[in-house]
Amino acid sequence: MNAAPLARRPLGCLKASLRQARQQRAPAFLARQLSTVTPKVPSTGALPEHNFFRMIDKKTKKTRSAFAIYAQPPPVPVTTAAKATAAKATVLPAPPPDPMPLLDAEQIKRMDPTGARTALFTKTRYAARVGDVLQVTHRRGGEPFAGVCLAIRRNGIDTAILLRNHLSKVGVEMWYKIYNRNVAGIEIVKRRAKRARRAKLTYMRQPKHDMGSVADLVFAWKKTRKVIGSRAGAGKGVQAVGKKRK
Amino acid sequence: MAPQLPTRCWRQLQQPSLQSLTLALTRRPSPSALLLPRTTTRGVKYGWSTLPSRAKPTRFNQVSSGLPAPTTGPAAALKRRERTTPMRTGVLAIKKGMTAFMGKTGSRIPCTVLQLDKVQTVANKTRASNGYFAVQVGLGERRADNVGAPMLGYFEAKGLAPKRVLAEFHVRDQSGLLPVGVQLMPDWFHVGQWVDVRANSHGKGFAGGMKKHGFKGQGASHGNSLSHRAIGTTGPSQGGGSRVLPGKKMPGRMGNERVTMQNLPVLMVNNELGIVVVKGCVAGPKGCIVKIQDAVKKPPPAQEFIEASRKVLDERFPDAAETLTAARVKHLQLKEMRKQGRIEDILAAGVVEGGAGAVAAPEVTV
Repeated sequence: MNAAPLARRPLGCLKASLRQARQQRAPAFLARQLSTVTPKVPSTGALPEHNFFRMIDKKTKKTRSAFAIYAQPPPVPVTTAAKATAAKATVLPAPPPDPMPLLDAEQIKRMDPTGARTALFTKTRYAARVGDVLQVTHRRGGEPFAGVCLAIRRNGIDTAILLRNHLSKVGVEMWYKIYNRNVAGIEIVKRRAKRARRAKLTYMRQPKHDMGSVADLVFAWKKTRKVIGSRAGAGKGVQAVGKKRK
Repeated sequence: MAPQLPTRCWRQLQQPSLQSLTLALTRRPSPSALLLPRTTTRGVKYGWSTLPSRAKPTRFNQVSSGLPAPTTGPAAALKRRERTTPMRTGVLAIKKGMTAFMGKTGSRIPCTVLQLDKVQTVANKTRASNGYFAVQVGLGERRADNVGAPMLGYFEAKGLAPKRVLAEFHVRDQSGLLPVGVQLMPDWFHVGQWVDVRANSHGKGFAGGMKKHGFKGQGASHGNSLSHRAIGTTGPSQGGGSRVLPGKKMPGRMGNERVTMQNLPVLMVNNELGIVVVKGCVAGPKGCIVKIQDAVKKPPPAQEFIEASRKVLDERFPDAAETLTAARVKHLQLKEMRKQGRIEDILAAGVVEGGAGAVAAPEVTV
């Protein structure tokens, strides 16, 4: 196909290799000419540690000017008041570049000490996924809300699920924040037969794909649970999270 | 008005020093020689006027004359803004993103996380020298080769590493000023206090009238052609002025303007993470620079807290003043050397001090 041009092309040429060499050398060479810093001068007395930043004249190659560049501020010492309370360290650690994951972890630990809520929605084999039918129990009584999970919005402490059901033949969707105190428990009523190949099942709002009411699924699930519960002698739901249902 | 003699001509007559007296006794120069300057500074050649060299508007409105205090001018302006100027300086921070706090009662509070990165005081502005009181604060770090010579000299004189951003925070009076070089931590604020947060909003680029100002646009049908989102007319025609009035809202650059969110409660301060968490949203994208200061329209933090936080600063940075003085002295030395073109000598000396044979050592390229 392209054999002839390929054969004609030389394997290497002086011009190309020279160009490459020039490009490789140039930046470092230029940078050295324009600006350099000297080794550090240790702190003396009140003066903090510093080094010198040179500005080098391009033509004469001599130092045109130079400025003392002081070191970044040292770690902040912990005050005596704080020391007395808890902290053992004498200086504060440097703050992390991204505090968001740490803050999230801290919040999740506070809101979900057992880790059950997190476990239900971490991506494992036994976790709840989109397409499963879930039931949310509220803290202050009221009817539990069951529905097919259309979406899981994963956002740390703000993680939320979208459930869809039909109540008196009207489609109803509810967002639930899984770490919210008002959510007493989340249970898996029925798992989807096959893994959904979409992250958000918004197509299930269309009449063609709509699941309709999940009341019969919930009823069947409750029945089996009662049977299992009577056999085992305890009425605990396997996937129950948070507070025990009364 | 007759031409006035410049002060330098008759000052000597009014306050004769001992030396000039003795000179006068011995030499006895003619009075005209004392009165007139040696070199001609006034004359037709240089322009001539009978008006005084500088008008004095306050000549007949002295403080002692019993007149009311002027309502304009720097002093009046400061007095006027006294109530709306916070007592303490604010801090610079970086917006890290939004999250939520879940309450014990099931409430959910959306909040914004702002991180303080090496926030240091850089300078103080005073009424005497600048006309107002303010604290200049710097955030972050910057490579020296990314900073110009004037600013390198500025940071050198402060004894600080070059900062990424500098900003000023107006304070009410002298008591709001801070020592230079101290680092402000999140505990400068306390949980429950109110702050104003300023930042530049998301830039939207060139936007039309509908998006930028909420204009209605025009009909989709009824024979409309190519002007569905047009802004319509921009003014009356002949008789009505036939011009576009100043301030007419038109398409143009939208966003990237300063937005102040007022009275946001502080939900959390954490020195380890270096964060201040405020309730609600703050303008701008993640990673933008924000200014946090005590709220103007809410009562300031308690006086005890203000004093305690000042005390904490003094405790953490007891030798800030000494460092500043030492840095200033060093800066003056280096400046003189730079002027004389002998900076290389200092460098050689400094390098030898740092380590033997370091002059020949390969220099670190920035």
